[in-house]
Amino acid sequence: MPSPVNSPRSDADIFSEEVMADPYPVYRALRDAGPVVYLEHSDVFAVARYEEARRVLGDWEAFSSADVALNEQFNHYIGDGILRADPPLHDQLRGVLSARLAPRALRDLAPDITRRAELLVDRLVAKGSFDAVTDLARWFPVEVVGDLIGLPHEGRERLLPLLDANFNCFGPDNARTQASFPRLPELAEYVMAGATRAALTEGSMGRAVYDAVDAGEIPEAVAPWLVMTYVTAGMDTTVHAIGHTVWLMAQHPDQWDALRAAPSLVPQAFREVVRYESSVQVFGRTARVDWSVGDVTVPAGARLAVLYGSANRDERKWADADRFDITRDNLDHLGFGYGLHGCAGQALARLEGEAILRALLRSVSHIEAGEPVRHFNNILRGLDSLPVTVITD
Amino acid sequence: MEQPEKTGHLSVDRGRCEGYGMCEQAAPELLHLDEDDVPVIDVAGISPTQKPLAEAAVRACPVAALSVRTASAPA
Repeated sequence: MPSPVNSPRSDADIFSEEVMADPYPVYRALRDAGPVVYLEHSDVFAVARYEEARRVLGDWEAFSSADVALNEQFNHYIGDGILRADPPLHDQLRGVLSARLAPRALRDLAPDITRRAELLVDRLVAKGSFDAVTDLARWFPVEVVGDLIGLPHEGRERLLPLLDANFNCFGPDNARTQASFPRLPELAEYVMAGATRAALTEGSMGRAVYDAVDAGEIPEAVAPWLVMTYVTAGMDTTVHAIGHTVWLMAQHPDQWDALRAAPSLVPQAFREVVRYESSVQVFGRTARVDWSVGDVTVPAGARLAVLYGSANRDERKWADADRFDITRDNLDHLGFGYGLHGCAGQALARLEGEAILRALLRSVSHIEAGEPVRHFNNILRGLDSLPVTVITD
Repeated sequence: MEQPEKTGHLSVDRGRCEGYGMCEQAAPELLHLDEDDVPVIDVAGISPTQKPLAEAAVRACPVAALSVRTASAPA
């Protein structure tokens, strides 16, 4: 990697549990240090400010996603996957996903997702006390998205830990990444052997991938990996977002009251959850050309770590950035990324998160949370457990 | 009365647009969505007073499908 010429430097390990427990003071220090900051621990330039993060994500020609993972081994493993691909291959793959995931394609799904959310939430609310992560957040996306992809029920219960391991592998070459690599074959086995063309439900998003092969839209060889994309990208990200939703509403009863008074704020409230506690905290890019930003020149070939979770708290962009405020203008948060590789499933994630919020709003006047247990992943921010008691009207 | 000068116009990349509709939420005065959720630009050009609104619509697009093109830099 080219040596950082005149960049500010930091010895913070943003992938340590110490930092991950509360990354925001470290993020702020990185933002204050400069528009890009060389992280000695991870041999990568952190892009921690909003404007620069947006610039990098929005220009795939200047900033390649070939190094979307912060280690070589996993970039090699992903191969021609959509996350690393440039146009025109990227656009072929993206077209297959967006044909099923764009808002217009999801319109008919909303009633069913709403009904499922109400069934699950009503059952838990009737209990009074439950775990918002293990009883709620971990169930909903796996069932909803699992059915939409058309996955066999067999083995779904093993998926979340495997998907978590898959996300870890996007991190730097640290102990968490090394412990996760041995789990990848089990995930590949589930998708390649368990979610075959024949096993995927007819009419499902997964089957549509093979329909696209038959229609000559994509090469056959990429099909299982596109099904893999559905599986790996669409579940634990939403699990963490739903966990954060309940956690933040419990911590901010005034915001819950405001939402109860104005349920039309639900989309804005879910966006604020994703801004405030972004499920995806970081992805990698590489500068294809020299990039001059402020007083710093990042040399061509330099690896960048785009810090979504920091950009979404940048005080240069957001007034009172550390305040959770469901009424703020948050349309342009970066929680789903941005640009060419922006989350293809963001409309579905919103549908799920908003359905859970609306289901809770129907009867819950107050959420009391116990001590959350933090989950540690190289890429994702989320909770392992959140005991809650809900008070009904 | 003199017409205010136009600073550019909004342009949609239809190949990139996936119909999230954030642009309409940001700037309903400048555009609306058609039945396929693709934005239809309702103004011939952007006046200086409309510029912040147009920029907000551009920023709101999650897939960078909307841009402001200036008169001197055609597509």
